[in-house]
Amino acid sequence: MTEDPVVLGVDPITRGVIRNVLPAIADEMSYVLQRSSYNMMIYEVRDYCCALVDPDGALLCQNVGGVSHFVADLGVVVKDAVFRYGTDGFAPGDGFITNHQAVAGQHLNNVVTYTPVFVDGRLVCFALVRAHWIDVGGMSTGFGAGASVADPWFEGLQLNQVRLYESGLVDDKVLGIIRDNIRFPESSLGDMRAQFAACRLAEERVTELVHRYGFESFTRTVRELFDHSEARCRRVVEAIPDGEYFAEAFLDNDFVELDRPLEIKVRVVVRGSDLTIDLTGCSSERKGAVNSRTLAGAYIAYKSLTTPEEPVNEGSFRALTVEIQEGNFMMARYPAPMAAWSVALPTVVDTILTALAPALPETIPAAHSGTLGGAVIFVGRQPETGARFVTQSIEGSGWGGRPWEDGESSSVSVCQGDVRNAPIETMELKWPILVRRRALRCDSGGPGRYRGGLGLITEVTNLVEGTWKLSMPSRDKCPPWGLWGGEAGTASSHAFRASEHAPLIEVASGQIPAAPGSTAVIRTPGGGGWGSPRQRPAESVLADVVEGYVSLESARDHYGVVIDELTLTVDEDATEALRKEKVGSDG
Amino acid sequence: MALTVALDIGGTFTDLVVWDSEAGRFSHGKSATTPQRLTDGIVQCLLKAAPSLDKVEDFVHGSTIAINTVLERTGASTALLVTKGMRDIYAIGRQNRPDAYDVFFRRPRPLVPRRLTFEVDERMSATGSVIEPLDDASLERVTSAVAAAGVEAVAVCLLNSYANPAHEIRVAAVVREALQGVFVTASSEILREYREYERTSTTVLNAYVGPRVSTYLDDLERLLDERGFGGRLFLMQSNGGAMTPRIARTVPVAMMESGPVGGIAAAAEVGKSLGLSNLIAFDMGGTTAKASLVTGFQPSVSDGYYIGGYANGQPLTLPVVDVVEVGTGGGSIAKIDDVGALCVGPTSAGSDPGPICYGWGGTRPTVTDANLVLGRLSPDRFLGGEMPLDVDAAAAGIEKEIASHLSISTVDAAHGIVDIAMSSMALAVRAVSIERGYDPREFALVAFGGAGPLHACAIARELHIPTVVIPLFPAHFSAVGMLASNLRHDDVRTVYRELEQVAWHEVLAIVDEMLDAGRRRLRGEGAAEAAVHLEIGLDLRYLGQEFTLTTPVERPPLAAGEVSSIRAAFTELHHRRYGHSAPTEAIELVNVRVTSSACRERPPLRAAEGSGAQVRGCRHVAFERARAVVEVPIIERDELRVGDEVKGPAIVEEYASTTVLWRGDALRRSETGELLVAVGGE
Repeated sequence: MTEDPVVLGVDPITRGVIRNVLPAIADEMSYVLQRSSYNMMIYEVRDYCCALVDPDGALLCQNVGGVSHFVADLGVVVKDAVFRYGTDGFAPGDGFITNHQAVAGQHLNNVVTYTPVFVDGRLVCFALVRAHWIDVGGMSTGFGAGASVADPWFEGLQLNQVRLYESGLVDDKVLGIIRDNIRFPESSLGDMRAQFAACRLAEERVTELVHRYGFESFTRTVRELFDHSEARCRRVVEAIPDGEYFAEAFLDNDFVELDRPLEIKVRVVVRGSDLTIDLTGCSSERKGAVNSRTLAGAYIAYKSLTTPEEPVNEGSFRALTVEIQEGNFMMARYPAPMAAWSVALPTVVDTILTALAPALPETIPAAHSGTLGGAVIFVGRQPETGARFVTQSIEGSGWGGRPWEDGESSSVSVCQGDVRNAPIETMELKWPILVRRRALRCDSGGPGRYRGGLGLITEVTNLVEGTWKLSMPSRDKCPPWGLWGGEAGTASSHAFRASEHAPLIEVASGQIPAAPGSTAVIRTPGGGGWGSPRQRPAESVLADVVEGYVSLESARDHYGVVIDELTLTVDEDATEALRKEKVGSDG
Repeated sequence: MALTVALDIGGTFTDLVVWDSEAGRFSHGKSATTPQRLTDGIVQCLLKAAPSLDKVEDFVHGSTIAINTVLERTGASTALLVTKGMRDIYAIGRQNRPDAYDVFFRRPRPLVPRRLTFEVDERMSATGSVIEPLDDASLERVTSAVAAAGVEAVAVCLLNSYANPAHEIRVAAVVREALQGVFVTASSEILREYREYERTSTTVLNAYVGPRVSTYLDDLERLLDERGFGGRLFLMQSNGGAMTPRIARTVPVAMMESGPVGGIAAAAEVGKSLGLSNLIAFDMGGTTAKASLVTGFQPSVSDGYYIGGYANGQPLTLPVVDVVEVGTGGGSIAKIDDVGALCVGPTSAGSDPGPICYGWGGTRPTVTDANLVLGRLSPDRFLGGEMPLDVDAAAAGIEKEIASHLSISTVDAAHGIVDIAMSSMALAVRAVSIERGYDPREFALVAFGGAGPLHACAIARELHIPTVVIPLFPAHFSAVGMLASNLRHDDVRTVYRELEQVAWHEVLAIVDEMLDAGRRRLRGEGAAEAAVHLEIGLDLRYLGQEFTLTTPVERPPLAAGEVSSIRAAFTELHHRRYGHSAPTEAIELVNVRVTSSACRERPPLRAAEGSGAQVRGCRHVAFERARAVVEVPIIERDELRVGDEVKGPAIVEEYASTTVLWRGDALRRSETGELLVAVGGE
């Protein structure tokens, strides 16, 4: 059984086996990283990705689960590394670290580690892990530096394809520089250990696989898997009517130039099984740090349309063309600020999907909240030890109504997958805060034949002095839109109470110094409605009122359903009259 | 004369095993499971195999009643009582979407609607101090509202009640008093661990299944009584141990995985009798294959799981035997997908229509059909020859559905189906061993389930596992396992502190309280003092991490506050599990766990010797692709004597299972009747 079992071309059985095993390697990397990581951005938010990429930059496999806007974006890191160091510039036991924006195009907290995988002296692929470090120095800590930093130097420590391990030995000088230039080095270097452990584990697994099937057969099989992935996508696109489709949306601003919207204009072209997503109409590079170098918006939309359940590899996007020019805010030139690189992406995905609504009326849902979450961030010092702490939780929001059912409530965005909120009991155990309320936000779901899902209201009191960082992107002027007569969901908002008896004041995103006993209120958006709310059956509206998802007023004003407050029954006659009148006035 | 009976309700069959310890004999009965009324199936089974129960001392039962109630959503109308401001905690959940690219994902569906969720005015802090006292007026108001709603069950889960359950206890007492006959559960009665959503879900599940499980237990006790049963009744729990009906009535949710764990508990027992402390239990049935790990003779137990799957299931945070399951079983269907790739499972032909070869109308080829075509299964000896299998139809199906599309021979296509199924099952075995930091070369594979022995040696070879064990009665091993189960209870308490700052006398007081509770509970179940076994574990992590590792400790180092030995044990565990550790870094204590168990007196599992191995026939078996078929001898398992050796390639057959030996494998029968295979190297 030592001979290479496959000598020629297609071997469906070997292919079937390798097809099972490759994604399992990426998932195992993910398991090791997540379970042994030190910061909630990894273990709860799962703000990381694990992948194998071949020396040409082709993606062999990637874990599925956490943050989806990392999809298939590690190839550029490998291509750049091979360009710099040459294919013979790597040795077994090497380990690299990078977060440089000229290549990776994300905020500096996203630190990539990778190792070359050699089998019998031959470079087979690279194992990579990108993970969100809790701190990279710079002006701020936690989720990232925020949208107002002017450039990467404000943002923090830049690592440019640094060889940190050589033949298995760590470079202590470089490690010292990293340690001295970040806050919470124990945490981040613990995460770095977990990242490299995941890479080394992948090296072992790939070695086993290549030994079993032989290098030739392995690489050939991988190419065939790419072809299969591409073919599956093409099959789906083929069924979409050919045409040119448009949609646009915007964020109210880029956090710096407050009166200038961040425009998102997309064009989607379907020709046979080819699909083009044209982003060239989107805003150019901005002063606010909403810039990035990423195709993630287009990739996520395409993936969810074509093969959401399939593992990701290089073939998953071969039948997609993304048009985007240098200088676009999503293809920004270094050193444009990128600290808030991903805030616009959920809206970009929604806009692309919405463009296709006329082509796929029975498939495309109304817009979801379009936000990466109501971030609960409070910075202070522990009363007993004086140690700095940062509270972190991400509060979910509403999704759009679907052509056959209501949207889901309180869920993370389209750019986030297996991302979880922080339990209240965990937060109160770790940090001197009190969560007063975490509740569904009544009436936030866009009215529709199929209602948008609800956002949340979270109220948190800080028990020590510190600073609240309220940071949801502003979509007041472009709230999560409805489709086919469905109405928009309610946009996000923040409020603040300076002490227990002080009045609750609406506040914009930003930093608020807070005395002990202050309370921040974070309200996340609801999703848009699908179809006219007047067509929603009265009993469904009644059920929503009984459950408290929709108020009596909204039932009447938006749905045209009159409900008796005391008996909680539908007044059929009044409802019929009101609905007729509404249809009349709409017409 | 003493009999022990185990009754296992599975998805398809209800299995009954009777052990007569005086005669040293097993008997066995099987009848179709009756999902509408499970007790009907039980009665049929009893009629077949144990008409009278007056000589039965212990009756051990595993049932799907709890899990069915959840999956079918046929549980009690349940109200939920929570802390002010927390009404939506249960509906909001963790808001994650594990299927990241699916824009049509579904959230878990709460078992309690929002209108039956009520807020009580009160607030505890995370350290257990009262921030806002329990307001009697609000409690009264809520109690009347619950009464007016006419529910059958009430779950009470207040914020931070794990730290101080005083309010929760009072709420539960008041509601119990006011609502006679309603099933009431407070979270602190079943789980004192932090994380409010998971605890709420667990508490709701307990309340939701409570009334139906109680009725079921009433029915069961009545029908056993009617048959003269005067012995002790035990119910299987998800943690692999047994409990009395009295405890099952308070913690019915512990019965959730009552059935499947029997086989794993039994594997551990087989390990004890053979002196094999480290095992991988491998259970392959019709629709799935399951793998789980046994180390130091103990099944590995995890802290919880999601009923209905991680993506949108209900979290249940009670100990459950750690099982990795893949959708590959004998009935898994092979197909060519839309781009021409060969896939196996997860769709299963089940028992209706079943594999093609059963002749029950199945037209799509399955793993069983492939095994038959390869000669690994016998067409005329399946179920002792009661059920002939149609090889020609299986081959024609594989040719039509698979081989013709790939332009390969039927036999190669059959190899392909089995190889792909194998790779997926091997992933499950890897997941519980290699991925948990264990080297399979130090383990033995215990294979059971109807199809387990068929694939065991091939999987062992793939993962370099040196030994395969085929236990007695592999096809009804889960029931056999119940015969051998121990009493067991798990208790957890969140105690959150940096290791260096732990006040060990306080921890010791908590541990002693938990140890006492465990002892008392076992005594109440009739366990002898000498049989009681207590284990302490600390859930530890490095400061800043979230996930903990349960690190076993003894009481003396705990009492002495020997941080260094605790640290060393944790560091070693962390390194094993994740491949790295940080010996000097700060460590946090999160939970204290106590497991109390007691051996029941039970039969030694042992089969009578046969008259000696004889070759009962030969058949042609295809072992490897691109190699000629080999004519191999067929041996009857029952005829084996201690000391007989069978060298592969060979086939060993028994009533409901077949063991395939490959070239280089050598099988012998143990003293007690298990088959031990030394797996040949490559």
